[in-house]
Amino acid sequence: MTASTTEGRFRIGVDIGGTFTDGTLVDSATGEVTTSKVLSTPSQPAQGFISAVEKLLKINDSVTPGAVEHVVHATTVATNAIIEGKTAKTAFVTTEGFRDMLEIARQIRPSLYDLQFEKPAPLVPRQLCFEVPERLDAKGEVVTPLDEQALKNVVDQIAAADVEAVAVCLLHSYRNPDHEQRVRDAIIAKLPHVIISISSDVVPEFREYLRASTTVINSSVAPIVSTYLKSISEKLHAAGVTSELLVMQSSGGVYPAEAASENPVFMVESGPAAGAVAAASLGTALGHPNVISFDMGGTTAKASLIRNGKPNITKDYSVGGAAQSGTGAFGGASGYPIRTPVVDLVEIGAGGGSVAWVDSGGALRVGPHSAGADPGPVCYGLGGEQPTITDANLVLGRLDPNYFAGGEMSLNLEAATEAIRKQCAEPLGLTVEEAAHGIVEIANTAMVNALRLVSVQRGHDPRDFMLIGFGGAGPAHAVRLAEQAGIPRVLIPLGPGTASALGLLVTDVRMEGSATLIVRSDEIELSIIANEFDRLENAGLEAHKAAASASGAPEFERTIEMRYWGQSFELSVPAPENTNIDQAWMDELIESFHEAHEKAYGFRAIDEPVELVNLRLTTIGKITRPQMRKLDNVGTDASVASKGHRPVYFAENSGEKGTLQTPVFDRSQLPAGAVFTGPAIIEEPDCTTVIHPGWTVTVDAYGNLGVELNS
Amino acid sequence: MAASETGGNTDGGSQITDPIQFEVVRSALTQVAEEMAAALRRSAYSTNVKTRQDFSCAFFDRNGRPISQAFTQPVHLGSFVELIPTSIKTYGVENLDPGDMLVVNNPFGGGSHLNDVTVFGPVHHNGELVGYVASLAHHVDVGGGAPASIGPFQEIFQEGIIIPPVKLVKKGEMNEDVFKLILAQIRSKRVTTGDFRAQVAANTVGARRLVDLVEKYGVADFDHYVAAVVDYTDRRTRAEIANIPDGVYGTTGFLDYDGFSDKVVNLKVEITVKGETVFFDFDGCDPQRRAPVNSTKAMTFSACAYALRALMAPDMPVNEGFYRHIKMNAKPGTVVHAVHPAPVVGGWETQVRINDMLFKAFAPGMPTKIAASTKAMMAQAGFGIIDSENGEYHCNYEALAGGYGARATSDGPDAVQQHGQNTENAPVEEVESHFPMRVSRLSLIEDSEGPGKFRGGLGMRRDYHFPNDPATFTVLSDRDLVGPQGIFGGMAGRKAYYILNPGSPTEEQSELTSKCVVELKPGDTVSFQTPGGGGYGPPEEREPAAVLKDVVGGKISRQRARDLYGVVIDEETNVVDESATTKARTELTSSRNSN
Amino acid sequence: MTTSAVDPIKFEVIRNALTQAAEEMAIALRRSAYSTNVKTRQDFSCAFFDKDLRSVAQAFTQPVHLGSFVRHVPIAVKRYGPENLGPGDMILSNDPYGGGVHLNDISLIGPVYYGDRLVGYTACLAHHVDVGGGAPASVGAFREVFQEGIIIPPIKFVNKGVLDDDLFRLVLSQIRSKRETSGDFRAQIASNRTGALRIIEIIDRYGIDEFEHYIDEIIEYTDRRTRVEVAKLPKGVFTAEGFVDNDGFTDEVVKLAVKITIDDDGVRFDTTGSDPQRRAPVNSTFAQTYSACAYALRALMDRDLPVNDGFYRYVHVEAPEGTVTNCVHPAPVVGGWETHVRLNDLIFEALSPAMPDAVCAGTKSMQCHAGFGGENHETGEYYCFLETLAGGYGGRSTSDGPDAVQSHGQNTENAPIEETESNYPVRITRYELVPDSEGPGEFRGGLGLRRDYMFPEEATFTILADRDKFGPRGLFDGEHGGKSVYAVIKDGNEEHLSSKTTVQLQPGEIISYRTSGGGGYGSPFKRDPQAIFEDVSQGKISHDRARERYGVEIDPETNQINEKATKELRSGC
Repeated sequence: MTASTTEGRFRIGVDIGGTFTDGTLVDSATGEVTTSKVLSTPSQPAQGFISAVEKLLKINDSVTPGAVEHVVHATTVATNAIIEGKTAKTAFVTTEGFRDMLEIARQIRPSLYDLQFEKPAPLVPRQLCFEVPERLDAKGEVVTPLDEQALKNVVDQIAAADVEAVAVCLLHSYRNPDHEQRVRDAIIAKLPHVIISISSDVVPEFREYLRASTTVINSSVAPIVSTYLKSISEKLHAAGVTSELLVMQSSGGVYPAEAASENPVFMVESGPAAGAVAAASLGTALGHPNVISFDMGGTTAKASLIRNGKPNITKDYSVGGAAQSGTGAFGGASGYPIRTPVVDLVEIGAGGGSVAWVDSGGALRVGPHSAGADPGPVCYGLGGEQPTITDANLVLGRLDPNYFAGGEMSLNLEAATEAIRKQCAEPLGLTVEEAAHGIVEIANTAMVNALRLVSVQRGHDPRDFMLIGFGGAGPAHAVRLAEQAGIPRVLIPLGPGTASALGLLVTDVRMEGSATLIVRSDEIELSIIANEFDRLENAGLEAHKAAASASGAPEFERTIEMRYWGQSFELSVPAPENTNIDQAWMDELIESFHEAHEKAYGFRAIDEPVELVNLRLTTIGKITRPQMRKLDNVGTDASVASKGHRPVYFAENSGEKGTLQTPVFDRSQLPAGAVFTGPAIIEEPDCTTVIHPGWTVTVDAYGNLGVELNS
Repeated sequence: MAASETGGNTDGGSQITDPIQFEVVRSALTQVAEEMAAALRRSAYSTNVKTRQDFSCAFFDRNGRPISQAFTQPVHLGSFVELIPTSIKTYGVENLDPGDMLVVNNPFGGGSHLNDVTVFGPVHHNGELVGYVASLAHHVDVGGGAPASIGPFQEIFQEGIIIPPVKLVKKGEMNEDVFKLILAQIRSKRVTTGDFRAQVAANTVGARRLVDLVEKYGVADFDHYVAAVVDYTDRRTRAEIANIPDGVYGTTGFLDYDGFSDKVVNLKVEITVKGETVFFDFDGCDPQRRAPVNSTKAMTFSACAYALRALMAPDMPVNEGFYRHIKMNAKPGTVVHAVHPAPVVGGWETQVRINDMLFKAFAPGMPTKIAASTKAMMAQAGFGIIDSENGEYHCNYEALAGGYGARATSDGPDAVQQHGQNTENAPVEEVESHFPMRVSRLSLIEDSEGPGKFRGGLGMRRDYHFPNDPATFTVLSDRDLVGPQGIFGGMAGRKAYYILNPGSPTEEQSELTSKCVVELKPGDTVSFQTPGGGGYGPPEEREPAAVLKDVVGGKISRQRARDLYGVVIDEETNVVDESATTKARTELTSSRNSN
Repeated sequence: MTTSAVDPIKFEVIRNALTQAAEEMAIALRRSAYSTNVKTRQDFSCAFFDKDLRSVAQAFTQPVHLGSFVRHVPIAVKRYGPENLGPGDMILSNDPYGGGVHLNDISLIGPVYYGDRLVGYTACLAHHVDVGGGAPASVGAFREVFQEGIIIPPIKFVNKGVLDDDLFRLVLSQIRSKRETSGDFRAQIASNRTGALRIIEIIDRYGIDEFEHYIDEIIEYTDRRTRVEVAKLPKGVFTAEGFVDNDGFTDEVVKLAVKITIDDDGVRFDTTGSDPQRRAPVNSTFAQTYSACAYALRALMDRDLPVNDGFYRYVHVEAPEGTVTNCVHPAPVVGGWETHVRLNDLIFEALSPAMPDAVCAGTKSMQCHAGFGGENHETGEYYCFLETLAGGYGGRSTSDGPDAVQSHGQNTENAPIEETESNYPVRITRYELVPDSEGPGEFRGGLGLRRDYMFPEEATFTILADRDKFGPRGLFDGEHGGKSVYAVIKDGNEEHLSSKTTVQLQPGEIISYRTSGGGGYGSPFKRDPQAIFEDVSQGKISHDRARERYGVEIDPETNQINEKATKELRSGC
């Protein structure tokens, strides 16, 4: 099967975002990259998808559709369905006495002081929530047997309600799935065409509401996702592209479209994950396995942490929830929790369009409101009246009014200046530059906090990482963020505007399998662990077949989620190398858990029993990384790319504030090996990179900008 | 903002308030508290802390002024404010070395009930004191008269261990003898040990981050911006208070009874808003009782702080600059300011009821901002059970949700926490895996809403079943005589019920009081049923479509829809019978006007 | 001289010096104590233990501490780890499940160092009037130990001679009567210090080797004498069953059983067959049960036998875990004294056939706790008070049971009314014997007593006692003593209370506490009419009772024994 990867040379990645749909085509032999950007078509996203593909094939006409090895897709179609309340009509079946599980949810309010708050409306209306008499205890033993007759009546009611999907979550099914499986079979027998998800399949972990919520999301978006994926594969076939369609998961890795249609809950955060994966792969390729990914677009900025080439994964997440920080309490209550793995990224409302204002306490604030693309920043001249980050960058001279979007659009500097003067500078008794600079700095602060959330709060020192800045607005802020967070190295990749889409093409096929144990290390039979891992391995092999043509032979990753007996939050610990599971293996495992716990929380409780909660086995089908292409243009002298100088305002380095004559470079002309120092501006059609004083740029062999703090 | 306002510019350039750096430091300080909260929650053992998030973390400056807080629980708003400075004073700042942490829960030294145990310690930078980090956690059991340390008690001494400020950590090392002594009083020793460790971990994390900050900005600038943050909130608070229409807002309220006598507990408040000042006067509240209805000063303060805060812009940071504007008169020796040796654990019932009253009082002044009566009780359920398998003593504590009051433009949400309370419901699977018991039902209570143009939320029912072992169960709650009232023509929500062995033969079934401890035998069940929220506006003005939705969803019965909302829904077609409805409604309105 | 030899003079001198050291500890404690319970009622004990934690010399005022204290001290020290104790350190402990008894009995233990060498431990135990918990004075009908007050595992209360303020504050915060209690704690510290000084003086005089040598000798001496005493006891197996009237929550009697096996290597007590422990105030810890057995054995031996390790090694107690005679965590224990003291009675009952002359009929055999407290309106201070009341003693083979005395392990004084009233807002309105409460017999039981407490201010009162269903049993045809009565009197109306209860009193209300009389020994008809005449003329027994129970007719007019009528009455049966 590895042979197949060399057959076709071309891979296509398509990333559908809020505003734009990005396409990337890579020649895996030469590493040559072709990119395309088209407007997204939220009404029927498949349209935007295919036009991005067609545009790619048009730009690079040397490519025949048949030579496309595979297509990888990242989409927000599932998330949007949830946020816009367009999920499929779904029924919910649970244990007698708990019909209101979804209504009651976590009984908390999303915001503490808001008397007008609302709980998110359940994805399943109460009349479609059904109970079956049955009960297991916490050990998974049957307390009340499943009442088949009552089940039959419930199935009849479901049939009468004519739903598209059914979600089943019975108490303690994570310990014993038998009842859930029998409920599923009964429904299938009567309603063969309805999509059914049972919680013991989707996410076999304890805490009924979180598991139910995940299961409901899975089944209620499944009809939408499968229809969507079907339509794009049809369109691809029509375009002559017959290769494997893979979908990006929330946790990194890709999986086959079939799997995605069955378990879409694994791809709700498909889009954002791509960026993190891109950063991870780029960092690894350049010998920097530890990086912080910073992806800033028009409305939001996303940060995530990558260690040893892997993005951090979390399961403490809510779809449509407010940005989570600290305890995560509010985010949890404002959205729909899912317990499937998601790339641990913090997304905040700070983008080029974020609005600046002065509050009643006389503080300068930025965001979370965004002017978005319409009316947009004041300088767009599209009717925007509130100053935005983009306006501030323009006033500071960091953007060129005449080279925005590669010159396709010119910006109104005067309007931006006026807005900032009136609305920010004068109320605060500052000069326009100081105010504009303040706007950028405050936005940076919020972003620095986002960086901290993913690093410090997880027990990692940002100074040990390299910052990779991309997305439309990322390169303009990355260097300054690094400065504030104390990060000494920054990387601005080639084509930062479409880096996410590139990420889709450097992702392995990954399929998660897990088994619940919940047993103390001093009470477990070691054979059980071995058997469970074997079972998961076989399941993994089976699942991998669907993606066999697109990836290499399956490999496995084993981790164990552990905690001190009595805690409820697990730490994920890699299984010891030695595959022979004996006492020594267990001792090693426990020791690494103690270490992990001490690192995270500052103490180890050696006298406490340790509990093994879940076994996880990830089946990986490696995808050969495309070659990165070296620049033909080599030389140390940057001046060949010079576009002259312009005044740019800098004030960070605690010394002299003020305007510096700053050299401007055309990125496309920079030779590999060129070295120059800040201040400097580097322009390319879809974004601008700002190099602050005190930093030195080195263009690497592939055209990435390595930016380092002068020692 | 102008530098002069921060009042701190003593030594030259470094003391000018740069608005940019101000914002940077401000969010960094919030971050400290948030990181503490995360560490606490994730390393805690008890369901009450790790899942229900019944804790709070905060940073105080070197004068013990609250600067930044991360709560999940606003009831803790006031608990910290007085407790920390008072404790520092009692213990003597000169007796605190770097790496020390004090533990305290004294209700009469600024604390609330004994379960809320605060661990806090000084933060030093190069030997210089720069502030304090504190974490408060509601410990599931602190000993005393009943498992989970809640119940109808008559004296503080019956409620569990009373902790004056003492050293829990000495120069970074656990003070083992003090720790041993505290643990010895506690039933659920294993989880409590873990929770204390988690509090220490949280403070350690917080201290580390603060030192980073001070290193970055230097002590002088750090202090200066801390002061600036306080002034900032102060300015915003004054602006917000000014937005409340001047006037005197008064109301009365009561608790159904005190747990030992049937005498209602009378509450009274008068709020005077004048320009930038607000004053809460609790004259006229009943004297404290030898019964579980006494709120400490800190608890009452929290109620005021919460109400005021809830009327302000949601993004306003809470710190000393906010608290200093809460002026109140709560006479010592009354149920709103209990003095030694009054029992205090029941004080939360009084505290939340006061919250409800404060909003009721403000209603005429800001009808669109407030809500009708909510659950307005803590609804505390505690049980203790000795695991026959391993002999371990387990305790569990929960506070249950109820119906929220309806608002001017929206229904009250169903089964949700209210006011200062925002604790989660312990997952059934989690409690069942920790304790040898079962939750046999968790559901909304149909027809429990307070009818109105906008209806109150539905109450919630949670049934606790103990199949194998005897257990001790405590109900510490209220509202079993009268449900939450409606407002502007809205009707009251269903009252609360506490039932032993519901649905079983009458000889075994009985109604419990809202404040009791019962010894359960194997096989017993306690059904805890919280009230629905009050309605807003006359029910007959409710959108028929909305009534229909509730009927279809089974939240309201057809009968009730017809009788109370005057909406007639066809049995077969499930559509609103327009003409019958108009008729029914005119009758309702006229009968309303007639009486 | 070689240390192995024993100089009888030196032996006696050192033995007395050690006892004297313990006595001085007791004096220091009593003199510096604050609470009536310690300074007047002398509810405390002091002792010296050698470096191997063997008890060497004891100064008791309270035999109940006989067994409990000597069990608790070694366990506490081992739990804390002797290696963690240096000169000037003292540990505090009251853990019922670490060898202790009820929470009020708090022991303070300190190592004694001679230079840098550990030579032993001085320890003192005091019954603190209040240790927090569910009711003032920490007595009451509780269901769990957590409700009874502060539980103190061994902790270093005094560190290198300095009181640990954190621990002191923490302990004190749980306690209602803070002022008195802190005084009593200081007194305990003083007591241990005094003891240590005396011990060091002894060593200064004789040197460590001699000192340790003679300690061995002293213990061996007691061992020898105990063996002789045991040899005098009747060999065999003796059993008895009895009960506590109720448990405070239900009316179910609490069954107690004891089996005593006496042979040459000592005496074995086995309480198998006693009821399972209850969530009620009737559970004895092992130490309490052990103490009852040790006391009973001691009571059957030569009065001047010095008690130390050499005696205890002959006391073997088998008490099944989880029963009311050896309760396990988290059973409440304060009520355990009722069980403990009843066990004493049972042991004597069991032995009565074998040693009719050594034992007595049923006594009060209950602790009779009367605890109360409240806020003193004058001082605003929270006060607590505890006392245990006397009752009738059982008749003996040759003498009546004394009226109104403490029984068995209990030997606490009655608090002087003047002292009580001058310290606490209470008035004792009656303090008298209860006529006709004796158990009739050839040698009658003692009379119970009555004590009425009137409270001018609100107060909380706890009764923790028993015997309100059945009076103390008579022996050899003797009759039962009178039952106890507990009542509250509200404006003249009397209303009976349970024997284990806590009540809230309004100003002016009265608690009337009337203890049981002792059981009689031998048939009442055998009682010397002259003795009856005495009782009647003293008003201890009524004319009617004399006639009906003793068959003695006394003419009210002439105030003479009517010989004829008496003869008829007595021959009538």
